[in-house]
Amino acid sequence: MTDTADPAGSRNYPLNCWYVIAASDEVGRSLLARHALGQHLLLFRTADGQAVVLDDRCPHRAAPLSMGTLDGDRVVCAYHGFSYAPDGQCVGVPSQRNVPYGAQVRSYPVLDRPPFVWVWPGNPARSRGTEPPDLPPLREPGWAVLGGSLEMAVNYLLLHDNALDRTHFPYVHPHRIHRGYVQDPPPLQIEVTETTVSYRRTFTPAPLTGWQHEATGLDADREYTQRETGTFVSPALHVDEMDIIGPDQVYRGVFIRAYTPVDAARTLIIWRAARNYARDDQSVAGRLREVYEGTMTEDQPLLEAIQATTGGAPDYRVSAAADAAAIRAYQIVEAMLAEEGGRAFNRWHGPRRD
Amino acid sequence: MSSTSPSSGEAPSAAMLTVFSERRSDLLITAREMRAEGVVSLTLADPAGAQLPGWTPGAHIDLLLEDTVRQYSLCGTPGDQHSWRIAVLLDPGGRGGSRRVHETLRVGDQVAVRGPRNHFPLHSVPRYIFIAGGIGITPILPMVAAATEAGADWQLYYGGRSQASMAFLDELAPYGERVTVWPQDTRGLLPLDLVLGTPAPDALVYCCGPEPLLAAAEQRCAAWPAGSLHLERFTARPQPEPAAGGGESFEVVCQRSGLTVTVPPGQSILEALDENGVSVLSSCQEGVCGTCETRVLEGVPDHRDSLLSEEEREANEYMMVCVSRSKSERLVLDL
Repeated sequence: MTDTADPAGSRNYPLNCWYVIAASDEVGRSLLARHALGQHLLLFRTADGQAVVLDDRCPHRAAPLSMGTLDGDRVVCAYHGFSYAPDGQCVGVPSQRNVPYGAQVRSYPVLDRPPFVWVWPGNPARSRGTEPPDLPPLREPGWAVLGGSLEMAVNYLLLHDNALDRTHFPYVHPHRIHRGYVQDPPPLQIEVTETTVSYRRTFTPAPLTGWQHEATGLDADREYTQRETGTFVSPALHVDEMDIIGPDQVYRGVFIRAYTPVDAARTLIIWRAARNYARDDQSVAGRLREVYEGTMTEDQPLLEAIQATTGGAPDYRVSAAADAAAIRAYQIVEAMLAEEGGRAFNRWHGPRRD
Repeated sequence: MSSTSPSSGEAPSAAMLTVFSERRSDLLITAREMRAEGVVSLTLADPAGAQLPGWTPGAHIDLLLEDTVRQYSLCGTPGDQHSWRIAVLLDPGGRGGSRRVHETLRVGDQVAVRGPRNHFPLHSVPRYIFIAGGIGITPILPMVAAATEAGADWQLYYGGRSQASMAFLDELAPYGERVTVWPQDTRGLLPLDLVLGTPAPDALVYCCGPEPLLAAAEQRCAAWPAGSLHLERFTARPQPEPAAGGGESFEVVCQRSGLTVTVPPGQSILEALDENGVSVLSSCQEGVCGTCETRVLEGVPDHRDSLLSEEEREANEYMMVCVSRSKSERLVLDL
């Protein structure tokens, strides 16, 4: 495939993978343009509610189809009125009787799993029978969910690195953490599979930090055992689970971050945070929104500066023991890239990118 | 609630070691079926119905059976993230793992599983030749499905003792003439001279089966472009020389951590690293699973694993630190 935005060779995200292209409620009966995954994409829903993702480019004179209109389920180009069915097939050219042979807009495999619309930018045949990661807190009862989205001028791997690393918290987010982040060793239990990496740790009991106390209503003067797990689920997704073991229940927060590369130097983050406590409390929701958004925007200037320094792909001189999970994630991505490129004729490792 | 807090801010240094482990889970056996003489398949699922981690054709899992660990290829559908399938051949002369699976595991039982991991991945090319011997069909089964979906051209040559001993013939039947079934009792050994006689530069060969079949495939593919043949072994390659050089000590420099470790005779690199606080992910410790693969920056490894191809050994780029040693006095590793 041709990448419109990425110069050849700079793409470091696999294409044969489900990525979150939009929140389900962003996609409706109007034409939405989205620049992501190295492509200019067009998103909309058919009259019966099916989400559709097409290339946002008329094959005729390259006008963005998103500037056109939706006529029933047909996309009509704003420039010369060429019209396209939801599968991308050209179905009408007003100025002539024949529909030009091969006038087709590329369509992408799409799965709408509210609250996310997932798209498969790679070989469509490889998507068959596969499913995006299942996220029970976003579909089961018993959870309250908040969320949002933002874009950062950062390569998506740097965001995975940041999410898998807990040792920057005392430096970048010092007022958001409990004592365990400083006193306890960093996550040392790392669990891997062919496609995933996760870390987990249980902290020695510590008092809650301010926002935890406010959100849970638990006693500010007591110490509680807390545990956390972070998982690189796929190149498209990182999930954190944070538990406070209360006297009556486990107070669980699940922080889900979908990372969708825009191009080699930008990433769209669509996030959701689910909690199993204070589900109807809007002030708790507001407090938690500030925590999640604040944590990401505290990381942002550092990460964007790192991006400017390294120019994109990971380029590090030294790693620490606490980077073990991130390094494993890089290896998974490298294996996926090598497999897709058909380059790795020597089993599973790709060409050295350093 | 009363709890104690650590009075000291200092964690003991031993606790600072990173512990890598593969995902371990207890899975429920949801189906058990005899697939051929001596071959049983087990379908595994999360007891709570949770999604299982993804895998790709060629992946395998460890089955943790009390005191033994056995590796089995996943032979279901990679896209199915709610169940995994393995198939196990009863090996009466084996170490007992397969007998345990056949005789004791039943639907409703839970088994401990580690993984999946994949050291036999299917690369995207336009054409494949698949060769399976006996239970070696298991990793090949999802491969032919993937090759079909990708629109690749492929042929499978599937040999076995007898037709009745060959599993999954029913699932291969829809592929028609792409599959050549070759029972030894009526047709003899797989005709590898015919199958691999002429190198095909645009094709990759994937072969899994008993050691003599793998050795024969390696021999026939010697004239093929380097890297054409992909094999999977589940038992260690027979060692031609008796651990020559195992009596020498050598130095291992861990480039990233700046640590230098001396590996004495009789100790593995893995053990020496571990004693010095450098934890490398490892599993089988006999050079067959590839978990401990480590990048070599300088020096010449003495490869003793069963995974790397001849070409990869010569490239000196990676080594398995659980069994391999050093031909040079000093090895610099990317650790």
